[in-house]
Amino acid sequence: MSENQPDNRMPCAAEKPIGAVMVVGAGVSGIQAALDAANSGFKVYLVDKAASIGGKMSQLDKTFPTNDCSMCILSPKFLECATNPNISILTDSEVDAVHGEAGNFTVDLVQQPRYVDSDKCTGCGVCAEYCPVGITDEYNAGLSKVKCIHLPFPQAVPAVSVVDPSQCLFLQRTECQICVPTCNVRAIDFHQQTKKHEIQVGSVILAPGYDVFDPSEQSQYGYDRYRNVVTSLEYERLLSASGPNGGVLRRPSDGATPLKIAWIQCVGSRDVAAGNPYCSSVCCMVAMKQVILSKEHIPPLEMVILHNDVRAFGKGFERYYERAKALDGVRFEWAKPSVVGEDPETHAVTLRYRLDGTRVREEAFDLVVLSVGLSSPPGNRALADRLGISLGEEGFCGTSALHPMETNRSGIYACGVFCGPMDIPDSVTMAGGAAAMATERLGRSRGSLVSEKSYPEERDIRGEPPRVGVFVCHCGTNIVKSVAVSDVVAYAETLGGVVHAQEDTFSCSIDSIKRMVRTIKEKDLNRVVVAACTPRTHEPVFQDALRQAGLNPFLFEMTNIREHCAWVHMGDKKRATQKAGDLVRMATAKAGMLTPLSRRPYAIQHAALVIGGGISGMVCALSLANQGIKVHLLERKNVLGGMAGRLRYTVEGDDVQAYLKRLIERVYHHLLVQVHMGSEIKDFSGYVGNFRTTLLTGAQKVSVEIQHGVTVVATGAQEFKPHEYLYGNNNQVLTHLELEEEIHAENDRIKECRSLVMIQCVGSRDDERPYCSRVCCGQAVKNALKLKEINPEMKIYVLYRDMRTYGLMENAYRDAADQGVTFIRYHETDKPEVTAKGGGKTLQVLVTEPTLGKKLMLEADLVSLAAATVPPENNHSLSQALKIPLNADGFFMEAHMKLRPVDFPTDGIFMCGLAHNPKRISESVAQGYAAASRAMTVLSQEEMRGEGAICRVNAQRCTGCSVCEEVCPFHAVAVSPESGVAEVNSALCKGCGLCAASCRSSALDVMGNNEEQVFSLLLALSANS
Amino acid sequence: METVEPFEEAIDLIKDAGGDAFKLCFQCGLCTASCPWNTVRTFMPHRMICESRYGLVDLEDESWWQCTTCNQCVDRCPRGVAITDVLGAVRNILLNFEYRMAPVSLRSAMGSLSGEGNPWGGERKDRSAWTKDTGITPFESSHEALYFSCCVPAYDTRLGNVARATGRILQKAGVSFGTLGNLESCCGESVRKAGNREVFESLAKKNIEAFKKAEVKEIITTSPHCYTTFKNDYPELGGIFEVRHVTQVLDRLIGQGEIAFTKEVKKKVVYHDPCYLGRHNGIYDAPRRVLESIPGLQLMDELNARENTLCCGGGGGRIWMETLKGERFSDILVAQAAQQGADILATACPYCILNFKDSVATAEMDGNLEIMDVSELVEMAL
Repeated sequence: MSENQPDNRMPCAAEKPIGAVMVVGAGVSGIQAALDAANSGFKVYLVDKAASIGGKMSQLDKTFPTNDCSMCILSPKFLECATNPNISILTDSEVDAVHGEAGNFTVDLVQQPRYVDSDKCTGCGVCAEYCPVGITDEYNAGLSKVKCIHLPFPQAVPAVSVVDPSQCLFLQRTECQICVPTCNVRAIDFHQQTKKHEIQVGSVILAPGYDVFDPSEQSQYGYDRYRNVVTSLEYERLLSASGPNGGVLRRPSDGATPLKIAWIQCVGSRDVAAGNPYCSSVCCMVAMKQVILSKEHIPPLEMVILHNDVRAFGKGFERYYERAKALDGVRFEWAKPSVVGEDPETHAVTLRYRLDGTRVREEAFDLVVLSVGLSSPPGNRALADRLGISLGEEGFCGTSALHPMETNRSGIYACGVFCGPMDIPDSVTMAGGAAAMATERLGRSRGSLVSEKSYPEERDIRGEPPRVGVFVCHCGTNIVKSVAVSDVVAYAETLGGVVHAQEDTFSCSIDSIKRMVRTIKEKDLNRVVVAACTPRTHEPVFQDALRQAGLNPFLFEMTNIREHCAWVHMGDKKRATQKAGDLVRMATAKAGMLTPLSRRPYAIQHAALVIGGGISGMVCALSLANQGIKVHLLERKNVLGGMAGRLRYTVEGDDVQAYLKRLIERVYHHLLVQVHMGSEIKDFSGYVGNFRTTLLTGAQKVSVEIQHGVTVVATGAQEFKPHEYLYGNNNQVLTHLELEEEIHAENDRIKECRSLVMIQCVGSRDDERPYCSRVCCGQAVKNALKLKEINPEMKIYVLYRDMRTYGLMENAYRDAADQGVTFIRYHETDKPEVTAKGGGKTLQVLVTEPTLGKKLMLEADLVSLAAATVPPENNHSLSQALKIPLNADGFFMEAHMKLRPVDFPTDGIFMCGLAHNPKRISESVAQGYAAASRAMTVLSQEEMRGEGAICRVNAQRCTGCSVCEEVCPFHAVAVSPESGVAEVNSALCKGCGLCAASCRSSALDVMGNNEEQVFSLLLALSANS
Repeated sequence: METVEPFEEAIDLIKDAGGDAFKLCFQCGLCTASCPWNTVRTFMPHRMICESRYGLVDLEDESWWQCTTCNQCVDRCPRGVAITDVLGAVRNILLNFEYRMAPVSLRSAMGSLSGEGNPWGGERKDRSAWTKDTGITPFESSHEALYFSCCVPAYDTRLGNVARATGRILQKAGVSFGTLGNLESCCGESVRKAGNREVFESLAKKNIEAFKKAEVKEIITTSPHCYTTFKNDYPELGGIFEVRHVTQVLDRLIGQGEIAFTKEVKKKVVYHDPCYLGRHNGIYDAPRRVLESIPGLQLMDELNARENTLCCGGGGGRIWMETLKGERFSDILVAQAAQQGADILATACPYCILNFKDSVATAEMDGNLEIMDVSELVEMAL
């Protein structure tokens, strides 16, 4: 696609481009793209046709594989979007047209009226109480009712009510208007009209998301007829604390507790009869997640997942699958069932399915969940037509495998499920990639349209007695289910120093924050205590609220009454409430001892070190270089390209070597990229903005010192060398990569091969490596198709455990079957056997055919093995040198598996490509760009600020013993040779306190958690309540 | 555990006989889960597809004769495997290999088809006996359409009424039509599904010659089976005609006001979708519109209707074969209709009517539940 287009990566030639980006679609990928672009110095217009941002992710209960509550991890991003002065959120809006060209677009937006003034509305919800019209609640997947005027959902952004005009009595029949006088800020305005906006931007990112498949189109599932057949999205809402039953799992027909539930996979996916032949990629994981969560809701629950391949191909997914399988009463059955009928009395639903090749079973369930697929909504086609964007047959954006995120229109990019079914981490990664591409060419206009967030001047509170405000959160039902929050509030009011105490349903929601800011000002608070979830989610949000109210953000203490109280004492409300009261008392006592702290600014290096010259490393390096950053590209070997050097074509048929050659050329020609071949890291130190690395480069091992602001780890992976199936002992047994090379080389033995057997999962998904290598099933199908091109008569067998040709690759799987490739499923406890016959000239493969229940003997001229993708050996040493973590499988561990897939927990260090996890080339490219995007949020700044709550040395007490220097994991404290006492580097120090605990002279204090402050907690704990 | 090898020659035979659809199968088992046979016994089409793929077919297994070609499996198969084609290919091979492996009743039907052009053992010269005193004339090229009655109404005394009722309606509506009487042979649909390609082709060619000679352009059929084969299988043998099922014609005539109802039929009627009208050809609404237009008629759907209808058990040549008591689908359908409080179980296929009638008799429900064709109900209200 990009071959004939002007190179998408060159900065715009003509006039100065507009330093703004429009993101169309505010689901999780749209939000990520918006944040990355805004935090790199660009004005962002975040547009969505719904009344709130959030998309489908806001409707999920928990997310796999971490089982984090979806809104908990998403709402900080909501708040970031809402409070970022450079992001304008335009809801109820659709794009009508995009005129102009890359760098200079004019977008026509049509915004529907909400009939509520967003400047006035506080989201209090009183109007809804009076509204007489009930409508289907779309947020709850149609399972409950909501009023015609309503807040889209509790954490909606904007937190402004909206009227559904098609059901409003006033708008349809000029009756009613009851709501208008109930609003005490007069926010309801029925005179609002549709508005048109013309907005100038430099780039557009399309992230309009998906619809779930409607199973009423397939009457065989009885979705419209049987009460106890629901979709997976409806089930999410049933599980959710903010759902129609408040998180209590009930059978829809009669509200009884279900004791036996079945999940039917692939509903509306991998189904030519349903019109959706592709795989929806996420439904296997969603079902597993729902199974694991349901067990928590109802321990004796019996659950069966009826699947046709379990597609747990992502990072950590295979372990999650093992976890689900190990649960009591959970079965995974390989079979597609039919829905036989419903019991007229109990409304239990009976399913019928085959068991291997000998029996047919009928089983009744209280509830049947249809794992519905992801499809392209008609709205997406219409949008694409209006914008001149071409979509593939199935309605997904026609991006190419080697140029993901690029559409056929220069300057317009795409990400998320719009490009094909994918999960949240992949959507977020692709969004980062789209942001990098969208902002690369606007580089000259960076910072031209942005403004800093302004805060009032900080009030000097020194000398004032503590005036503490206590805010106790319900967290929906998460906390209030186990802790009597009102009692805790009442108790807080009795504590010394407390002048205000209140409860909130969600302290982190926009309106709660707004009220907190107001309360701080009105009541003259000088300390704030929030009793809620873990500080790891929302501490920055609350600290920002203090700043908005003119208070130093470190006059804030957060106590965790969710993870540390409500969640671990479920079922003992009395004592949990007591404990929550204790925790609040402790926090209040400490709060009184808090003093203002500041975050020191420091200069940064506007350069980057990219470790690894494979595809993702090169892509990242080029993207950064195109944005004016000096990049040092470090490669251990003497050739660039990494694993891609051995690949010839993608599943879609793209020429990998041609792409690689062009990429390498561009890397060498770019003036800002310096390639260090044959190099390794000798020394690494520093912190975000100021890293210092010593390389040993070349044969001579010359020492080179590099100063850089960010580090990107792109160290790739390697191919596992199998020890089974005669590999290494018989040269007719190859790996898939070796096979690909031989196919490309047109070796005789390939052309003359009459029969070839492929064996999947060699070295993966076993005890040693309990993870999926993700690419091998696609690779098998890809090679099989190539072989059929060479010789249609060749017998090809693929022996698999689960065919994991996810997403649009499913079409290639079906294609291969159509051309006569035979796929045979084997069980991990009954692996195939390969023996050599006739003096080693032919091979025999024995595999148990699951339907026939017999061993099938296959003659093979060649056997090809799907060897695992494994982390390189020196990951361990790199992990130690950079102090970055590895996961249990030896790949690098990101800060958060769902929403921060390219960040390390250490600021300023990022990752991409196979270093993160096995992945396809298109995914490596996307991640390379995403890492660049995240890196630019650091490098686009003039200076950075350190942590505020860091350590401080009392020079008088310090004896210069250097124990602190030895123990500090961040190399943030050292004894200065000049002064002879320890000095803390305020940019590096994270305030972990290891030095303070080790100091035998009590010379080190952790500010914000100093000795006095910590003892105040203990004293408060032991005081009687 | 036994060790086997793929039997290449058998695989090639099956492919040549039109059964290479097995290659797309990924053994999900939805066909087995959906097949009506599993309501009364164990029957595993997915296993039979698997056996075909490896050429490891047990020719003596009577399962190969079970399939009624109801298409429930084909309709739902996520890979679009033409399952019935694979089974048909194996049947074809079975018949070629060892003719006596076919059920006795099937063999006698085939013999009658070859000899007299119908499967019932009747003589060719009696084929047009049902037209006596109806005023129906032999087809001429000036006629709009050929009315093709199907062998069942032609030779079955009860079902002869269906053909006569249809004739009367068409005459009343002013449709110009005729029949080719003894020149007609069985359409051959069922014998083809039963695996006998040769007999089918000889019947088809005979019909095509006769139709062409008479300059037939449009054919109206009573049986959805005749409809399907005229539409799908005759063209590649040179017989290209416009084909309509009688319910489509009635639907059009009623819609255009060519048929006027003067009487009421105050009955509760359950409509059964014949497999070959519904699933095979997507004709669900025309017969319903026809029934709903009859004054006084109260129409109900079956428990499982439209694409999910339970087969009566007559397709795939099984109308000629013995089905064990307790395994008859039509028994289930008749019982369901009775439970729904139906006066009449109506349908639009002669095989369905034959089977339903049998079931009503065995269940001793004569007089409690009537079995009627849609055309008969229309005629009652004329």
